[in-house]
Amino acid sequence: MGKYLLLGKLTFEEYFVYRLNFVLWRFRSLVFFLTLFFFWLAIYGNRSEFLGYQKAQMLAYVVGIAFLRSIVLGSRSADLAGQVRSGELTKLFLQPIKIIGFWFTRDIVDKFLNLLFTILEITVVLLIFKFPLWFPQKPESYLFFFILAILALFLYFFLSFSLSVVAFWTEEIWTTRWLFGVIFLEFFAGAFFPIDVLPGWLTKIIYLTPFPYLVFFPLKIWLEQLSTVMILKAILICFGWLVFFYWLAHFLWQKGAKNYGAYGG
Amino acid sequence: MEHMVARLIKIWLMFASRAAQSQFLTLLAGVLFLIGKIVRFLLFFVFLFAILSSSKTLADYSREQVIFFFLVFNLVDIMIQFFFRGVYQFRPLVISGNYDLDLLKPLPSFFRPIFGWTDILDFTTLVPLWGYFIWFVFTNHLFTGFIDFALFFLLLLNALMVGFAFHLFVCAVCILTTEIDHLIEVYLDLANMARFPTDIYQKGIQYILTFTIPVIILITIPAKALLGLLSWQWLILSLVISGLFLWGSLRFWKYALTQYSSASS
Repeated sequence: MGKYLLLGKLTFEEYFVYRLNFVLWRFRSLVFFLTLFFFWLAIYGNRSEFLGYQKAQMLAYVVGIAFLRSIVLGSRSADLAGQVRSGELTKLFLQPIKIIGFWFTRDIVDKFLNLLFTILEITVVLLIFKFPLWFPQKPESYLFFFILAILALFLYFFLSFSLSVVAFWTEEIWTTRWLFGVIFLEFFAGAFFPIDVLPGWLTKIIYLTPFPYLVFFPLKIWLEQLSTVMILKAILICFGWLVFFYWLAHFLWQKGAKNYGAYGG
Repeated sequence: MEHMVARLIKIWLMFASRAAQSQFLTLLAGVLFLIGKIVRFLLFFVFLFAILSSSKTLADYSREQVIFFFLVFNLVDIMIQFFFRGVYQFRPLVISGNYDLDLLKPLPSFFRPIFGWTDILDFTTLVPLWGYFIWFVFTNHLFTGFIDFALFFLLLLNALMVGFAFHLFVCAVCILTTEIDHLIEVYLDLANMARFPTDIYQKGIQYILTFTIPVIILITIPAKALLGLLSWQWLILSLVISGLFLWGSLRFWKYALTQYSSASS
Protein backbone atom coordinates (compact mmCIF):
# COMPACT_ATOMS: atom_id res chain seq x y z
CA MET A 1 0.00 0.00 0.00
CA GLY A 2 2.89 2.30 0.93
CA LYS A 3 4.35 2.19 -2.59
CA TYR A 4 1.02 3.26 -4.11
CA LEU A 5 0.80 6.17 -1.67
CA LEU A 6 4.32 7.17 -2.66
CA LEU A 7 3.36 6.86 -6.33
CA GLY A 8 0.35 9.06 -5.67
CA LYS A 9 2.57 11.66 -4.01
CA LEU A 10 5.00 11.61 -6.94
CA THR A 11 2.17 11.92 -9.46
CA PHE A 12 0.81 14.86 -7.48
CA GLU A 13 4.20 16.56 -7.54
CA GLU A 14 4.50 15.91 -11.28
CA TYR A 15 1.56 18.24 -11.93
CA PHE A 16 3.38 21.06 -10.22
CA VAL A 17 6.49 20.53 -12.32
CA TYR A 18 4.52 21.09 -15.54
CA ARG A 19 2.48 23.99 -14.17
CA LEU A 20 1.82 25.66 -17.54
CA ASN A 21 0.34 22.41 -18.87
CA PHE A 22 -1.90 22.13 -15.87
CA VAL A 23 -3.08 25.75 -16.04
CA LEU A 24 -3.87 25.41 -19.75
CA TRP A 25 -5.70 22.15 -19.12
CA ARG A 26 -7.86 23.80 -16.46
CA PHE A 27 -8.47 26.75 -18.77
CA ARG A 28 -9.68 24.35 -21.45
CA SER A 29 -12.10 22.71 -19.01
CA LEU A 30 -13.46 26.11 -18.06
CA VAL A 31 -13.94 27.11 -21.71
CA PHE A 32 -15.82 23.87 -22.32
CA PHE A 33 -18.05 24.51 -19.33
CA LEU A 34 -18.75 28.12 -20.33
CA THR A 35 -19.63 27.13 -23.92
CA LEU A 36 -22.29 24.69 -22.72
CA PHE A 37 -23.49 27.06 -19.99
CA PHE A 38 -24.11 29.96 -22.36
CA PHE A 39 -25.53 27.74 -25.08
CA TRP A 40 -28.27 26.45 -22.79
CA LEU A 41 -28.88 29.88 -21.26
CA ALA A 42 -29.48 31.20 -24.79
CA ILE A 43 -31.69 28.25 -25.72
CA TYR A 44 -33.86 28.73 -22.65
CA GLY A 45 -34.08 32.52 -22.89
CA ASN A 46 -37.25 33.33 -20.95
CA ARG A 47 -38.53 29.75 -20.94
CA SER A 48 -38.62 27.93 -17.63
CA GLU A 49 -38.99 24.46 -19.16
CA PHE A 50 -37.71 22.90 -22.39
CA LEU A 51 -37.51 19.31 -23.67
CA GLY A 52 -38.55 17.96 -20.29
CA TYR A 53 -35.91 19.88 -18.33
CA GLN A 54 -36.50 22.92 -16.15
CA LYS A 55 -33.95 25.66 -16.72
CA ALA A 56 -32.33 25.05 -13.31
CA GLN A 57 -32.19 21.32 -14.05
CA MET A 58 -30.46 21.83 -17.39
CA LEU A 59 -27.87 24.15 -15.86
CA ALA A 60 -27.40 21.62 -13.06
CA TYR A 61 -26.81 19.04 -15.80
CA VAL A 62 -24.07 21.26 -17.28
CA VAL A 63 -22.47 21.70 -13.85
CA GLY A 64 -22.84 17.94 -13.33
CA ILE A 65 -21.01 17.29 -16.61
CA ALA A 66 -18.08 19.35 -15.32
CA PHE A 67 -17.97 17.37 -12.07
CA LEU A 68 -18.35 13.95 -13.63
CA ARG A 69 -15.74 14.79 -16.25
CA SER A 70 -13.38 15.33 -13.32
CA ILE A 71 -14.40 12.35 -11.21
CA VAL A 72 -15.24 9.78 -13.87
CA LEU A 73 -13.61 10.82 -17.14
CA GLY A 74 -10.44 12.34 -15.66
CA SER A 75 -7.78 9.75 -16.40
CA ARG A 76 -4.11 9.10 -16.98
CA SER A 77 -4.44 5.52 -18.21
CA ALA A 78 -4.46 6.85 -21.79
CA ASP A 79 -0.69 7.33 -21.34
CA LEU A 80 -0.29 3.57 -21.10
CA ALA A 81 -0.74 3.25 -24.88
CA GLY A 82 2.19 5.61 -25.48
CA GLN A 83 4.34 3.65 -23.05
CA VAL A 84 3.58 0.41 -24.87
CA ARG A 85 4.53 1.92 -28.24
CA SER A 86 7.69 3.63 -26.99
CA GLY A 87 8.93 0.68 -24.89
CA GLU A 88 8.85 2.73 -21.69
CA LEU A 89 6.60 0.09 -20.22
CA THR A 90 9.64 -2.16 -19.73
CA LYS A 91 10.77 -0.32 -16.61
CA LEU A 92 7.32 -0.86 -15.06
CA PHE A 93 7.57 -4.58 -15.76
CA LEU A 94 10.80 -4.66 -13.78
CA GLN A 95 9.34 -2.92 -10.75
CA PRO A 96 7.51 -4.72 -7.92
CA ILE A 97 4.22 -3.02 -8.70
CA LYS A 98 0.96 -4.12 -10.31
CA ILE A 99 0.41 -2.33 -13.61
CA ILE A 100 -3.32 -1.87 -13.07
CA GLY A 101 -2.67 -0.57 -9.55
CA PHE A 102 -0.06 1.81 -10.94
CA TRP A 103 -2.45 3.37 -13.45
CA PHE A 104 -5.37 3.42 -11.06
CA THR A 105 -3.30 5.34 -8.51
CA ARG A 106 -2.36 7.90 -11.15
CA ASP A 107 -5.99 8.14 -12.20
CA ILE A 108 -7.12 8.83 -8.64
CA VAL A 109 -4.60 11.67 -8.23
CA ASP A 110 -5.71 13.14 -11.56
CA LYS A 111 -9.35 12.96 -10.52
CA PHE A 112 -8.63 14.50 -7.13
CA LEU A 113 -6.80 17.48 -8.59
CA ASN A 114 -9.35 18.02 -11.34
CA LEU A 115 -12.20 17.84 -8.86
CA LEU A 116 -10.55 20.36 -6.57
CA PHE A 117 -10.07 22.89 -9.36
CA THR A 118 -13.48 22.19 -10.91
CA ILE A 119 -15.14 23.05 -7.59
CA LEU A 120 -13.20 26.31 -7.42
CA GLU A 121 -13.91 27.31 -11.02
CA ILE A 122 -17.59 26.41 -11.02
CA THR A 123 -18.17 28.13 -7.69
CA VAL A 124 -16.69 31.34 -9.09
CA VAL A 125 -18.82 31.13 -12.27
CA LEU A 126 -22.00 30.41 -10.32
CA LEU A 127 -21.30 33.25 -7.90
CA ILE A 128 -20.71 35.67 -10.79
CA PHE A 129 -23.96 34.69 -12.51
CA LYS A 130 -25.78 34.25 -9.19
CA PHE A 131 -27.26 31.00 -10.31
CA PRO A 132 -28.59 28.58 -7.68
CA LEU A 133 -27.62 24.91 -7.91
CA TRP A 134 -30.23 22.19 -8.19
CA PHE A 135 -30.11 19.73 -5.28
CA PRO A 136 -32.18 16.54 -5.03
CA GLN A 137 -35.15 16.62 -2.66
CA LYS A 138 -35.08 12.94 -1.67
CA PRO A 139 -32.17 11.74 0.52
CA GLU A 140 -31.96 8.40 -1.35
CA SER A 141 -31.14 10.27 -4.57
CA TYR A 142 -27.77 11.25 -3.07
CA LEU A 143 -27.06 7.63 -2.20
CA PHE A 144 -28.02 6.30 -5.64
CA PHE A 145 -26.04 9.07 -7.35
CA PHE A 146 -23.00 8.25 -5.25
CA ILE A 147 -23.27 4.50 -5.96
CA LEU A 148 -23.62 4.97 -9.72
CA ALA A 149 -20.84 7.58 -9.85
CA ILE A 150 -18.45 5.19 -8.09
CA LEU A 151 -19.40 2.34 -10.42
CA ALA A 152 -18.95 4.72 -13.37
CA LEU A 153 -15.49 5.69 -12.11
CA PHE A 154 -14.38 2.04 -12.12
CA LEU A 155 -16.18 1.32 -15.39
CA TYR A 156 -14.39 4.16 -17.16
CA PHE A 157 -11.04 3.10 -15.73
CA PHE A 158 -11.32 -0.45 -17.07
CA LEU A 159 -12.81 0.76 -20.37
CA SER A 160 -9.98 3.23 -20.86
CA PHE A 161 -7.40 0.66 -19.78
CA SER A 162 -8.80 -1.87 -22.29
CA LEU A 163 -8.54 0.72 -25.07
CA SER A 164 -4.94 1.54 -24.16
CA VAL A 165 -3.94 -2.11 -24.08
CA VAL A 166 -4.93 -2.40 -27.75
CA ALA A 167 -1.58 -0.64 -28.35
CA PHE A 168 0.09 -4.06 -27.96
CA TRP A 169 -1.32 -5.03 -31.35
CA THR A 170 -1.65 -1.85 -33.37
CA GLU A 171 0.39 1.25 -34.07
CA GLU A 172 -2.75 3.24 -34.82
CA ILE A 173 -3.68 3.45 -31.19
CA TRP A 174 -4.29 7.18 -31.02
CA THR A 175 -7.08 7.07 -33.62
CA THR A 176 -8.66 4.08 -31.88
CA ARG A 177 -8.63 5.98 -28.61
CA TRP A 178 -9.82 9.16 -30.31
CA LEU A 179 -12.78 7.44 -31.94
CA PHE A 180 -13.92 5.28 -29.02
CA GLY A 181 -12.44 7.17 -26.07
CA VAL A 182 -13.32 10.70 -27.18
CA ILE A 183 -15.93 10.93 -29.93
CA PHE A 184 -18.24 8.03 -29.00
CA LEU A 185 -17.55 8.43 -25.33
CA GLU A 186 -18.34 12.13 -25.05
CA PHE A 187 -21.46 12.08 -27.19
CA PHE A 188 -22.88 8.79 -26.01
CA ALA A 189 -22.04 9.39 -22.35
CA GLY A 190 -24.08 12.58 -22.40
CA ALA A 191 -20.96 14.64 -21.69
CA PHE A 192 -22.07 17.34 -24.15
CA PHE A 193 -25.83 17.31 -23.66
CA PRO A 194 -28.51 15.01 -22.20
CA ILE A 195 -28.94 12.06 -24.53
CA ASP A 196 -32.72 12.10 -24.26
CA VAL A 197 -32.96 15.38 -26.21
CA LEU A 198 -31.93 13.38 -29.30
CA PRO A 199 -34.50 11.53 -31.44
CA GLY A 200 -35.95 8.46 -29.67
CA TRP A 201 -34.49 5.89 -32.08
CA LEU A 202 -30.96 7.25 -31.55
CA THR A 203 -31.37 7.38 -27.78
CA LYS A 204 -32.41 3.71 -27.75
CA ILE A 205 -29.27 2.73 -29.69
CA ILE A 206 -27.06 4.74 -27.31
CA TYR A 207 -28.64 3.03 -24.28
CA LEU A 208 -27.26 -0.27 -25.59
CA THR A 209 -23.67 0.96 -25.10
CA PRO A 210 -21.82 1.31 -21.77
CA PHE A 211 -21.31 5.06 -22.21
CA PRO A 212 -24.58 6.56 -20.83
CA TYR A 213 -23.85 5.01 -17.42
CA LEU A 214 -20.79 7.22 -17.06
CA VAL A 215 -22.44 10.64 -17.06
CA PHE A 216 -26.03 10.64 -18.27
CA PHE A 217 -27.66 8.21 -15.82
CA PRO A 218 -25.87 9.54 -12.70
CA LEU A 219 -27.10 13.02 -13.61
CA LYS A 220 -30.63 11.80 -14.31
CA ILE A 221 -30.58 10.38 -10.78
CA TRP A 222 -29.34 13.70 -9.40
CA LEU A 223 -32.15 15.50 -11.25
CA GLU A 224 -34.64 12.95 -9.87
CA GLN A 225 -35.98 12.12 -13.32
CA LEU A 226 -35.81 8.34 -12.90
CA SER A 227 -38.10 6.05 -10.95
CA THR A 228 -36.57 3.75 -8.31
CA VAL A 229 -37.01 0.77 -10.64
CA MET A 230 -35.21 2.61 -13.43
CA ILE A 231 -32.41 3.60 -11.05
CA LEU A 232 -31.91 0.03 -9.87
CA LYS A 233 -31.96 -1.15 -13.48
CA ALA A 234 -29.31 1.45 -14.42
CA ILE A 235 -27.11 0.43 -11.47
CA LEU A 236 -27.45 -3.24 -12.38
CA ILE A 237 -26.61 -2.67 -16.07
CA CYS A 238 -23.66 -0.46 -15.12
CA PHE A 239 -22.41 -3.19 -12.79
CA GLY A 240 -22.77 -5.71 -15.64
CA TRP A 241 -20.69 -3.50 -17.94
CA LEU A 242 -18.14 -3.04 -15.16
CA VAL A 243 -17.72 -6.81 -14.72
CA PHE A 244 -17.34 -7.20 -18.49
CA PHE A 245 -14.69 -4.48 -18.84
CA TYR A 246 -12.87 -5.69 -15.70
CA TRP A 247 -12.59 -9.08 -17.34
CA LEU A 248 -11.72 -7.60 -20.74
CA ALA A 249 -8.97 -5.36 -19.31
CA HIS A 250 -7.33 -8.30 -17.51
CA PHE A 251 -7.75 -10.62 -20.47
CA LEU A 252 -6.29 -8.14 -22.97
CA TRP A 253 -3.49 -7.25 -20.59
CA GLN A 254 -2.44 -10.86 -20.12
CA LYS A 255 -2.54 -11.54 -23.86
CA GLY A 256 -0.88 -8.25 -24.74
CA ALA A 257 1.95 -8.53 -22.23
CA LYS A 258 3.00 -11.76 -23.93
CA ASN A 259 2.96 -9.91 -27.23
CA TYR A 260 5.07 -7.00 -25.94
CA GLY A 261 8.06 -6.22 -28.15
CA ALA A 262 9.63 -3.49 -25.93
CA TYR A 263 10.43 -1.29 -28.92
CA GLY A 264 12.99 1.27 -27.95
CA GLY A 265 12.83 0.11 -24.34
CA MET B 1 7.14 37.67 -56.72
CA GLU B 2 4.90 35.54 -58.94
CA HIS B 3 7.79 33.18 -59.57
CA MET B 4 8.43 32.81 -55.84
CA VAL B 5 4.75 32.10 -55.06
CA ALA B 6 4.63 29.49 -57.83
CA ARG B 7 7.76 27.87 -56.41
CA LEU B 8 6.32 27.80 -52.89
CA ILE B 9 3.08 26.27 -54.15
CA LYS B 10 5.09 23.62 -55.95
CA ILE B 11 7.03 22.82 -52.76
CA TRP B 12 3.81 22.78 -50.74
CA LEU B 13 2.32 20.29 -53.20
CA MET B 14 5.39 18.10 -52.76
CA PHE B 15 5.04 18.26 -48.97
CA ALA B 16 1.34 17.43 -49.28
CA SER B 17 2.07 14.51 -51.58
CA ARG B 18 4.67 13.06 -49.16
CA ALA B 19 2.29 13.52 -46.24
CA ALA B 20 -0.51 11.75 -48.15
CA GLN B 21 1.77 8.83 -49.01
CA SER B 22 2.78 8.56 -45.37
CA GLN B 23 -0.87 8.55 -44.30
CA PHE B 24 -1.76 5.82 -46.77
CA LEU B 25 0.75 3.60 -44.98
CA THR B 26 -1.52 3.61 -41.93
CA LEU B 27 -4.83 3.28 -43.74
CA LEU B 28 -6.76 1.94 -40.77
CA ALA B 29 -5.84 4.98 -38.70
CA GLY B 30 -7.04 7.20 -41.53
CA VAL B 31 -10.33 5.37 -41.83
CA LEU B 32 -10.96 5.56 -38.07
CA PHE B 33 -10.05 9.25 -38.07
CA LEU B 34 -12.44 9.90 -40.93
CA ILE B 35 -15.25 7.94 -39.24
CA GLY B 36 -14.68 9.95 -36.06
CA LYS B 37 -14.91 13.26 -37.89
CA ILE B 38 -18.07 12.26 -39.73
CA VAL B 39 -19.72 10.86 -36.59
CA ARG B 40 -18.91 14.01 -34.63
CA PHE B 41 -20.30 16.23 -37.38
CA LEU B 42 -23.48 14.16 -37.76
CA LEU B 43 -24.14 13.90 -34.03
CA PHE B 44 -23.76 17.65 -33.55
CA PHE B 45 -25.96 18.19 -36.57
CA VAL B 46 -28.69 15.88 -35.24
CA PHE B 47 -28.41 17.53 -31.82
CA LEU B 48 -28.77 21.05 -33.23
CA PHE B 49 -31.61 19.97 -35.47
CA ALA B 50 -33.46 18.30 -32.58
CA ILE B 51 -32.98 21.28 -30.25
CA LEU B 52 -33.86 23.94 -32.78
CA SER B 53 -36.86 22.07 -34.11
CA SER B 54 -38.38 22.57 -30.66
CA SER B 55 -36.98 25.97 -29.70
CA LYS B 56 -37.27 27.48 -33.25
CA THR B 57 -34.65 30.16 -32.51
CA LEU B 58 -31.31 30.71 -30.78
CA ALA B 59 -30.40 34.30 -29.89
CA ASP B 60 -32.89 35.49 -32.53
CA TYR B 61 -31.38 33.31 -35.25
CA SER B 62 -33.63 30.83 -37.03
CA ARG B 63 -32.92 27.11 -37.09
CA GLU B 64 -31.48 27.33 -40.62
CA GLN B 65 -29.26 30.26 -39.68
CA VAL B 66 -27.87 28.45 -36.62
CA ILE B 67 -27.11 25.38 -38.73
CA PHE B 68 -25.51 27.71 -41.26
CA PHE B 69 -23.19 29.06 -38.53
CA PHE B 70 -22.36 25.49 -37.61
CA LEU B 71 -21.48 24.69 -41.23
CA VAL B 72 -19.28 27.78 -41.56
CA PHE B 73 -17.54 26.79 -38.32
CA ASN B 74 -16.80 23.36 -39.77
CA LEU B 75 -15.58 24.78 -43.08
CA VAL B 76 -13.19 27.27 -41.48
CA ASP B 77 -12.02 24.81 -38.84
CA ILE B 78 -11.23 22.06 -41.35
CA MET B 79 -9.62 24.46 -43.87
CA ILE B 80 -7.32 25.84 -41.17
CA GLN B 81 -6.38 22.35 -40.04
CA PHE B 82 -5.86 21.28 -43.62
CA PHE B 83 -3.44 24.08 -44.42
CA PHE B 84 -1.66 24.55 -41.11
CA ARG B 85 -1.42 21.08 -39.60
CA GLY B 86 2.37 21.27 -39.88
CA VAL B 87 2.34 23.02 -36.51
CA TYR B 88 1.55 19.72 -34.82
CA GLN B 89 4.86 18.34 -36.13
CA PHE B 90 6.98 21.33 -35.21
CA ARG B 91 7.83 20.51 -31.58
CA PRO B 92 9.90 17.38 -32.41
CA LEU B 93 11.84 19.45 -34.96
CA VAL B 94 12.72 22.05 -32.32
CA ILE B 95 13.55 19.55 -29.58
CA SER B 96 15.76 17.43 -31.84
CA GLY B 97 17.45 20.43 -33.39
CA ASN B 98 16.48 19.22 -36.86
CA TYR B 99 14.87 22.55 -37.56
CA ASP B 100 18.44 23.75 -38.32
CA LEU B 101 18.24 21.86 -41.61
CA ASP B 102 15.11 23.77 -42.62
CA LEU B 103 16.65 27.10 -41.74
CA LEU B 104 19.44 26.37 -44.23
CA LYS B 105 16.99 25.91 -47.10
CA PRO B 106 16.03 28.76 -49.45
CA LEU B 107 12.52 28.95 -48.03
CA PRO B 108 10.76 31.39 -45.69
CA SER B 109 11.64 30.33 -42.14
CA PHE B 110 7.96 29.70 -41.29
CA PHE B 111 7.28 27.54 -44.34
CA ARG B 112 8.15 24.14 -42.90
CA PRO B 113 6.70 24.78 -39.41
CA ILE B 114 3.34 25.88 -40.81
CA PHE B 115 2.97 24.09 -44.13
CA GLY B 116 5.22 21.10 -43.54
CA TRP B 117 2.35 18.64 -43.12
CA THR B 118 -0.91 18.70 -45.03
CA ASP B 119 -3.67 16.37 -43.97
CA ILE B 120 -5.28 14.64 -46.94
CA LEU B 121 -8.03 13.37 -44.61
CA ASP B 122 -9.10 16.95 -43.95
CA PHE B 123 -9.29 17.47 -47.68
CA THR B 124 -11.52 14.43 -48.16
CA THR B 125 -13.99 15.87 -45.64
CA LEU B 126 -13.76 19.37 -47.09
CA VAL B 127 -15.00 18.49 -50.58
CA PRO B 128 -18.39 17.02 -49.57
CA LEU B 129 -18.77 19.65 -46.86
CA TRP B 130 -18.39 22.49 -49.38
CA GLY B 131 -20.92 20.76 -51.63
CA TYR B 132 -23.41 20.39 -48.81
CA PHE B 133 -22.79 23.95 -47.64
CA ILE B 134 -23.58 25.45 -51.06
CA TRP B 135 -26.65 23.23 -51.41
CA PHE B 136 -27.81 24.24 -47.92
CA VAL B 137 -27.37 27.97 -48.60
CA PHE B 138 -29.39 27.89 -51.81
CA THR B 139 -32.15 25.53 -50.73
CA ASN B 140 -32.77 27.46 -47.51
CA HIS B 141 -32.79 30.84 -49.27
CA LEU B 142 -29.80 32.11 -47.29
CA PHE B 143 -28.20 33.57 -50.43
CA THR B 144 -28.65 37.34 -50.13
CA GLY B 145 -26.78 38.57 -53.21
CA PHE B 146 -23.50 38.43 -55.08
CA ILE B 147 -21.90 41.24 -53.10
CA ASP B 148 -22.49 39.35 -49.83
CA PHE B 149 -21.20 36.20 -51.49
CA ALA B 150 -18.00 37.97 -52.60
CA LEU B 151 -17.64 39.49 -49.14
CA PHE B 152 -18.00 36.04 -47.61
CA PHE B 153 -15.09 34.71 -49.68
CA LEU B 154 -12.98 37.78 -48.90
CA LEU B 155 -13.61 37.29 -45.18
CA LEU B 156 -12.92 33.58 -45.52
CA LEU B 157 -9.48 34.47 -46.89
CA ASN B 158 -9.13 36.91 -44.03
CA ALA B 159 -9.99 34.07 -41.62
CA LEU B 160 -7.26 31.93 -43.16
CA MET B 161 -4.83 34.79 -42.64
CA VAL B 162 -5.80 35.00 -38.96
CA GLY B 163 -5.44 31.22 -38.74
CA PHE B 164 -1.97 31.47 -40.24
CA ALA B 165 -1.04 34.28 -37.82
CA PHE B 166 -2.21 32.32 -34.82
CA HIS B 167 -0.39 29.15 -35.84
CA LEU B 168 2.77 31.18 -36.45
CA PHE B 169 2.39 32.67 -32.98
CA VAL B 170 2.14 29.15 -31.54
CA CYS B 171 5.30 28.11 -33.40
CA ALA B 172 7.11 31.11 -31.95
CA VAL B 173 5.98 30.13 -28.45
CA CYS B 174 7.19 26.61 -29.20
CA ILE B 175 10.70 27.89 -29.99
CA LEU B 176 10.75 29.85 -26.74
CA THR B 177 9.16 27.26 -24.43
CA THR B 178 8.91 23.98 -26.44
CA GLU B 179 5.22 24.03 -25.44
CA ILE B 180 2.77 23.66 -28.30
CA ASP B 181 0.07 21.01 -27.79
CA HIS B 182 -1.95 22.69 -25.09
CA LEU B 183 -1.82 26.09 -26.79
CA ILE B 184 -3.22 24.61 -29.98
CA GLU B 185 -5.88 22.85 -27.98
CA VAL B 186 -6.81 26.09 -26.23
CA TYR B 187 -7.25 27.61 -29.68
CA LEU B 188 -9.41 24.65 -30.75
CA ASP B 189 -11.56 24.95 -27.63
CA LEU B 190 -12.05 28.67 -28.14
CA ALA B 191 -12.81 28.10 -31.82
CA ASN B 192 -15.39 25.52 -30.74
CA MET B 193 -17.23 28.33 -28.97
CA ALA B 194 -18.03 29.68 -32.43
CA ARG B 195 -19.79 26.44 -33.31
CA PHE B 196 -22.90 28.40 -32.28
CA PRO B 197 -23.54 32.08 -33.14
CA THR B 198 -21.23 33.99 -30.80
CA ASP B 199 -24.04 36.46 -30.00
CA ILE B 200 -25.20 33.97 -27.34
CA TYR B 201 -22.20 34.83 -25.16
CA GLN B 202 -21.93 37.74 -22.71
CA LYS B 203 -20.33 40.94 -24.01
CA GLY B 204 -17.10 40.37 -22.03
CA ILE B 205 -16.63 36.95 -23.59
CA GLN B 206 -17.37 38.37 -27.03
CA TYR B 207 -14.58 40.91 -26.55
CA ILE B 208 -12.18 38.11 -25.59
CA LEU B 209 -13.22 36.15 -28.68
CA THR B 210 -12.66 39.21 -30.87
CA PHE B 211 -9.39 40.60 -29.55
CA THR B 212 -7.39 37.69 -28.04
CA ILE B 213 -7.82 34.59 -30.18
CA PRO B 214 -10.19 36.23 -32.66
CA VAL B 215 -12.53 33.32 -33.38
CA ILE B 216 -15.33 35.79 -34.06
CA ILE B 217 -13.29 37.07 -37.00
CA LEU B 218 -12.49 33.53 -38.04
CA ILE B 219 -16.03 32.21 -38.13
CA THR B 220 -18.84 34.56 -37.07
CA ILE B 221 -17.89 37.50 -39.30
CA PRO B 222 -17.75 35.55 -42.61
CA ALA B 223 -21.01 33.81 -41.71
CA LYS B 224 -22.74 37.10 -40.96
CA ALA B 225 -21.42 38.56 -44.22
CA LEU B 226 -23.11 35.87 -46.28
CA LEU B 227 -26.34 36.29 -44.34
CA GLY B 228 -26.21 40.03 -45.13
CA LEU B 229 -26.04 40.86 -41.40
CA LEU B 230 -22.55 42.40 -41.30
CA SER B 231 -22.18 46.13 -40.70
CA TRP B 232 -19.38 48.02 -42.48
CA GLN B 233 -17.88 48.93 -39.08
CA TRP B 234 -17.42 45.25 -38.27
CA LEU B 235 -16.04 44.61 -41.73
CA ILE B 236 -13.34 47.26 -41.29
CA LEU B 237 -12.66 46.25 -37.69
CA SER B 238 -12.16 42.63 -38.64
CA LEU B 239 -9.71 43.53 -41.43
CA VAL B 240 -7.78 45.85 -39.11
CA ILE B 241 -7.60 43.27 -36.29
CA SER B 242 -6.46 40.58 -38.73
CA GLY B 243 -3.75 42.87 -40.11
CA LEU B 244 -2.54 43.72 -36.62
CA PHE B 245 -2.61 40.08 -35.62
CA LEU B 246 -0.55 39.06 -38.65
CA TRP B 247 1.94 41.88 -38.13
CA GLY B 248 2.30 41.02 -34.43
CA SER B 249 2.77 37.32 -35.15
CA LEU B 250 5.46 37.95 -37.79
CA ARG B 251 7.33 40.27 -35.40
CA PHE B 252 7.06 37.74 -32.58
CA TRP B 253 8.24 34.94 -34.91
CA LYS B 254 11.29 36.96 -35.90
CA TYR B 255 12.08 37.57 -32.25
CA ALA B 256 11.62 33.87 -31.40
CA LEU B 257 14.03 32.90 -34.18
CA THR B 258 16.75 34.99 -32.54
CA GLN B 259 16.25 32.86 -29.40
CA TYR B 260 16.39 29.50 -31.22
CA SER B 261 19.15 27.56 -29.50
CA SER B 262 19.49 24.62 -31.92
CA ALA B 263 19.26 22.21 -28.99
CA SER B 264 20.54 18.63 -29.46
CA SER B 265 21.98 19.30 -32.89
